[in-house]
Amino acid sequence: MKRFFEWMRRYPAFVGFIGIVVVFSLLSDRFFTISNFLNVLRQVSIQAIIAFGMTIVIISGGIDLSVGSVFAISAAVLASILKTGNIFLAILAGIAVGGAFGLFNGFVIAKGKIQPFIVTLATMAIARSFTLVYMQGMPITGFSRTFRFIGRGSIGGIPVPVLIMFGMFLLTWYILSKTKLGLYAYSIGGNEEATRLSGVNVDMYKMMIYTLSGTFSAVSAIVLTARLNSAQPIFGQNYELDAIAAVVLGGASLSGGKGTVVGTLFGALIMGIINNGLNLLNVSPFYQQAVKGAVILAAVLLERE
Amino acid sequence: MLLKMEKITKRFPGVLALDNVDFDLREGEIHALVGENGAGKSTLIKILGGVHQPDGGRIILNGQEVHFSSPVDSQKAGISVIHQELNLAENLSVAHNIFLGREKGSWWNIDHKRMRKEAEEILKRLSFNLNPSAVVRELNVSEKQLVAIAKALTLNARIIVMDEPTATITEHEVERLFSIMKDLKKNGVSIIFISHRLDEIFSVADRVTVLRDGKKVASGLVEDFTKDELVRLMVGRSITDMYPKYNVPKDEVIFEVEGLEVPGFVKDVTFNVKRGEIFGVAGLVGCGKSELALGLFGAVKSYFKKMKLFDAEVKEIKNPMDALKLGIVMIPEDRKKMGLILDLDIVKNIATANSNLVAKLVNISWRKAKSLSNEAIKKFSIKASSIKQLTKNLSGGNQQKVVLAKYLFREPRLVILVEPTRGIDVGAKVEVYHLINDLANRGTGVIFISSELPEIVSLCDRVLVMHRGRQITILEGNEITQENILRAATGVEVA
Ligand SMILES: Nc1ncnc2c1ncn2[C@@H]1O[C@H](COP(=O)(O)OP(=O)(O)OP(=O)(O)O)[C@@H](O)[C@H]1O
Ligand SMILES: [Mg+2]
Repeated sequence: MKRFFEWMRRYPAFVGFIGIVVVFSLLSDRFFTISNFLNVLRQVSIQAIIAFGMTIVIISGGIDLSVGSVFAISAAVLASILKTGNIFLAILAGIAVGGAFGLFNGFVIAKGKIQPFIVTLATMAIARSFTLVYMQGMPITGFSRTFRFIGRGSIGGIPVPVLIMFGMFLLTWYILSKTKLGLYAYSIGGNEEATRLSGVNVDMYKMMIYTLSGTFSAVSAIVLTARLNSAQPIFGQNYELDAIAAVVLGGASLSGGKGTVVGTLFGALIMGIINNGLNLLNVSPFYQQAVKGAVILAAVLLERE
Repeated sequence: MLLKMEKITKRFPGVLALDNVDFDLREGEIHALVGENGAGKSTLIKILGGVHQPDGGRIILNGQEVHFSSPVDSQKAGISVIHQELNLAENLSVAHNIFLGREKGSWWNIDHKRMRKEAEEILKRLSFNLNPSAVVRELNVSEKQLVAIAKALTLNARIIVMDEPTATITEHEVERLFSIMKDLKKNGVSIIFISHRLDEIFSVADRVTVLRDGKKVASGLVEDFTKDELVRLMVGRSITDMYPKYNVPKDEVIFEVEGLEVPGFVKDVTFNVKRGEIFGVAGLVGCGKSELALGLFGAVKSYFKKMKLFDAEVKEIKNPMDALKLGIVMIPEDRKKMGLILDLDIVKNIATANSNLVAKLVNISWRKAKSLSNEAIKKFSIKASSIKQLTKNLSGGNQQKVVLAKYLFREPRLVILVEPTRGIDVGAKVEVYHLINDLANRGTGVIFISSELPEIVSLCDRVLVMHRGRQITILEGNEITQENILRAATGVEVA
């Protein structure tokens, strides 16, 4: 029993998740069904993929405010190339654009020694502006069935976006727990100076971390573009906030050194379930933001040491 | 009796840090608390300071039972604590730190000027060489320690607790601190004093209490103990040779540097290190000896006219990665800031510094990392509940041992040890001295930087003494005495 409580303290996001599931199950009989869960998972997948990348960034003591704008520009490039036909090339280009913006962030942060908040805030503005210019402010719509499968299809009853989300989840988990990059993310976030003195190429790893974050945004953008069969210049607005909220709900510390991708997954699920549950209960969208905000505050208060 | 702590028990996950410990303090006495690393000294102090709550036992102050649920409670009761891990507001100035919470002026108009002036007076009275306007973040550990001491002394407390205040400061400041402690005692202030240096205990304390593995094993007047007895009580065996020295210096020069400069700290230093030799660097706080180490390691910008390591010319060392590639390793002095990632466990700290051993390319072999960690725990007798213990929860001395361990797995060609024995217990110190001898005999160049003169004098074959960033002299053989070092360190030329 004591171990159970200790475990609960260690994984508060999981506890919050269970709590919220129970509450909504009691309040709505349409909530606790398999089809609704798949629905929630599909909705959550977009935010969750971005949040996974953000997890690595936040663990390393940084922040990436540009994820939403990078999402948009990746979608724009992807969509424009899709129009000329080659799906494979389009996806590759979309991911490359996301990675490039991430690399740019990482480069300026590491070499310029400027705070990530400022750098990624600037990139957020720049990438958004590029998107608007590139798309001339107009959406690009109508793609092939094959491409739409990424957003709308399902394999063995499970929506493809959900499968992609789990793929990205496993990748992040692997990076954080098995690779040097993951270890160094924790080390840099915990004590950058000590990490540098241990002989770690801190600058290079920071660049890799932000590149990953940009890449994750791009992957998420591919999924949403396929699902909506359209790319819009206003894609991704406020996504950085949802991603940060999910990571923090998952138990990461904004000062770095702490956090897990499992936590982030449940953090994202909590956000998604609140959306879904409130919709099922017909709560006015005007109130929904307040509920989300309150949940974030409550969770963070509970997680204090 | 001013203070009585009765049957104090404190449990942390996996360790019983204190087991029914009794401790008392009279008015106007200096009571020393000694014991091995991890014996529970700091834990006892933290309970008195309201940082931890005991699982059992009670605290009686002036005949009344008290409960300290936070550091504020304890401070209100007249207890001022200098913790081993200094708690300073890093972004504020020295003066602001000294007066933190008791700012001069009013809340809507803080009198910065007056605080600076009063801080200056206090520092002068203590004869601590510190600029009251300096930002604490920029200070080195020793200077930070002085700030913490100044702060605690100006609280006008009835009980002052000092957890290893002398670990990071030099002879000169220690003497000042002791004379202040004696003055305070005359004015009826009581002091609890923790130190691993037994000489200090005998020169300043009235009574001493020995802890071992969380239990009180002895307590009494200092006169009633000999040094050997104390050591035996602390570590459970006698130590015959406190400063083992069996390295064999040869003539072959394996490292030399000419005209080393660290802008703002070190100017024109030239020396060489011979095979098998233990080369010492000494000097007062702020003389630039720490920066010399950082400069040689590439951790701060440095220039030199010439450098040679074994037979290879070294062009430049831009960063620690360069240094490590050449086989130069530095054990940093400030374990909290430079040595450890406190939020991570022992395994991860060791893995971070030894990726060449635990990771081929990208993937880390945690099995290898764990076996390295277990090896380290054994070799350095690190007291931890497991290799998964977060390093922030280790006792100060055990943290230091982890820092030593994490760097010494690489087979270095030149080791720069900066205050490697700071805060570690007598038993562990002897182990470190053995290690240094062994390193030297294995052909590794050893540069040993320390503020603790007895160890410099007993261990080193040659000693470079610095004063205000300059090299004053290199002492050799019989010239290496505490007096000569002190004289050179304060800027007086020695013949
Ligand atoms: N917050 C904590 N969580 C878990 N264990 C702890 C914590 N604080 C201390 N310990 C453990 O309690 C024991 C006593 O530690 P303490 O810091 O009191 O030792 P100490 O006598 O001050 O040693 P040192 O001379 O090295 O400073 C150690 O085994 C340590 O690992
Ligand atoms: Mg201690």
